[in-house]
Amino acid sequence: MGTGGPAGPATEPAGPAIETHGLRKVFGAIAAVDGIDISFPAGRIYGLLGPNGSGKTTLIRLMAGLAVATSGSVTVLGTRMPSRPLLARIGYMTQSDGLYSELSVWENLSFFAAMSGQPDVTAMAEILDVVELGDRRGRPILQLSGGMRRRLSLACALVHRPTVVFLDEPTVGVDPVLRYHLWDHFRRLATAGTTLVVSSHVMDEGDRCDELVLIRSGRVLAMGNGAEIRRQAGTADLESAFLKLSGVPTRGDSQ
Amino acid sequence: MSARRIAAIARRIAQQFRRDRRSLALLIVAPIAVLALLGYVIRDEKPINTRLGIVSLGGPADAPIQAALNAAATQAGVPVVDVGTDAASGRAAVQAGRADVVIVLPANLASGVATVQLITLGEAPADDGARLQIVAGLIERAATQGPRLTIEHETIYGSASADILDTFAPALIGFFGFFFVFVLTGISFLRERTGGTLERLLATPVRRSEIVVGYSAGFGFFATVQVALILLFALGSLSVPRIGPVGSFEVGLGIANAGSPLLAFVVIFLTAIGAVNLAIFLSTFARTELQILEFIPIVIVPQALLGGVFWSVDSLPDPVQAVARLLPMTHAIDGLRAVLLRGAGMSDGTLQIDIAFLAGVAILFVVLAGATIRREIA
Repeated sequence: MGTGGPAGPATEPAGPAIETHGLRKVFGAIAAVDGIDISFPAGRIYGLLGPNGSGKTTLIRLMAGLAVATSGSVTVLGTRMPSRPLLARIGYMTQSDGLYSELSVWENLSFFAAMSGQPDVTAMAEILDVVELGDRRGRPILQLSGGMRRRLSLACALVHRPTVVFLDEPTVGVDPVLRYHLWDHFRRLATAGTTLVVSSHVMDEGDRCDELVLIRSGRVLAMGNGAEIRRQAGTADLESAFLKLSGVPTRGDSQ
Repeated sequence: MSARRIAAIARRIAQQFRRDRRSLALLIVAPIAVLALLGYVIRDEKPINTRLGIVSLGGPADAPIQAALNAAATQAGVPVVDVGTDAASGRAAVQAGRADVVIVLPANLASGVATVQLITLGEAPADDGARLQIVAGLIERAATQGPRLTIEHETIYGSASADILDTFAPALIGFFGFFFVFVLTGISFLRERTGGTLERLLATPVRRSEIVVGYSAGFGFFATVQVALILLFALGSLSVPRIGPVGSFEVGLGIANAGSPLLAFVVIFLTAIGAVNLAIFLSTFARTELQILEFIPIVIVPQALLGGVFWSVDSLPDPVQAVARLLPMTHAIDGLRAVLLRGAGMSDGTLQIDIAFLAGVAILFVVLAGATIRREIA
């Protein structure tokens, strides 16, 4: 079975952190991801925007090595996915909270830290403070509000200090103040060299990302930063830009 | 009460059943299938096999009654086998499985009042009881004009006074060792699959083998505690003296125990590991906790009916017997009976088969369970 440790950080490949080529994933007759080519350089925040069922989660699962592509390829940090050893350097926050409801905040966090191979108590305490759950360590999950669970779920995805992070709708149910703090933290991570891929169907989060990928029916509708996309669509906000690029007539157009 | 709301609730339940065809099928098919199996097993139960040995200690004086016994046996269709000429060789024949009941006719048979000794194996009191009844009938018929005979029962294993509980206990220990671990693991792993924790787990560099072995160790630990306590309660006997208003009472069933509790534990532990991994495997085929419970009539009930809890496997109709021999519960119960009632050690042939079978089943289910934990859940 080998030692299976993560690839050393010293030999970082010069290429992009994440790259896909002709990526397709078909479920029965439906192509959830239908030919996506992206190339994400490291140390930036990428936003996957699109309506429910547009293929965001499938795309993230393909990139995180949790699904096998029907055709095409995904490369993360120079390694072709899926790759089990590379998962030590990837953080993945699932759309459902994925927490053990009988266990406490601290027990959940230390379990996932142990699973990712880095049960570092300092890192655990730090990340709990970031998500503002430091004073609720002993609380069982059953007694947490929806927003608190979301925050703990995020902490579990970041506790092993991953190099590449996939966050599937991380701010759903999180109040505006904490949302602001979380994006602040994402920015700090990116500045330190972490690559973040954040999916959302809330368009106003798009401007916090360095680059946006608008997705609809498993295809890339537009790519670029918020300003570029607005200019491309000729609209004032991302919401209208998305609707216009999708071919939906909007009130914003006629006014 | 609003009739419309009541109707809406009833309709919703019907709709849910329509979407969950399996539950609906089970509701109807399971009771009929179980009843059919039960009916088949009970109606076609084989008559118990009784091979009779007769040992005479009284020499030529016993010849008339011996002849009468032989005649009665032939008339009743009970085969008579040669078991030697003294009580020791009679016991050896029972122990070796060449005879089921040996009658020892005493030397003082002519004296008018005598005690006839009947030797049985003592491993299955229910079977022994049925045989003793047959043999007592033969003796009664053979000794109509002879001396008055009283019957004394002796067993090779256990004691002649062993009751139904003594044979039931090993069966129930095996049953519970399988049942609870199966249900708990099934629900627990289903929650991993549906609650998103398995997805999250698989996003870490964990190996499938680590998950399966970790689960086996975690549930194995609790199965261990459970079985240790059950064994202690079943085999132990502790008199608690009178405390104030509470009268004195006994804790534990004090089941006669011939063999090594450690060996019994090995049997039950292998059974539990098999149950844990079977449950992980089957949790793939359930979408709700209800559907895990629905595996009980499919997985547990046939094993309870055929595994030797209620009837000895030997008395089952032949085709069912073949199926029974493939069930883990059959071997768990057989192994536990061998250890606890017969005092079998690792040199015992049937116990070796039981342990090897249970270990093989455990390995098979570990592999199957591992195969269902894939990074691609889709």
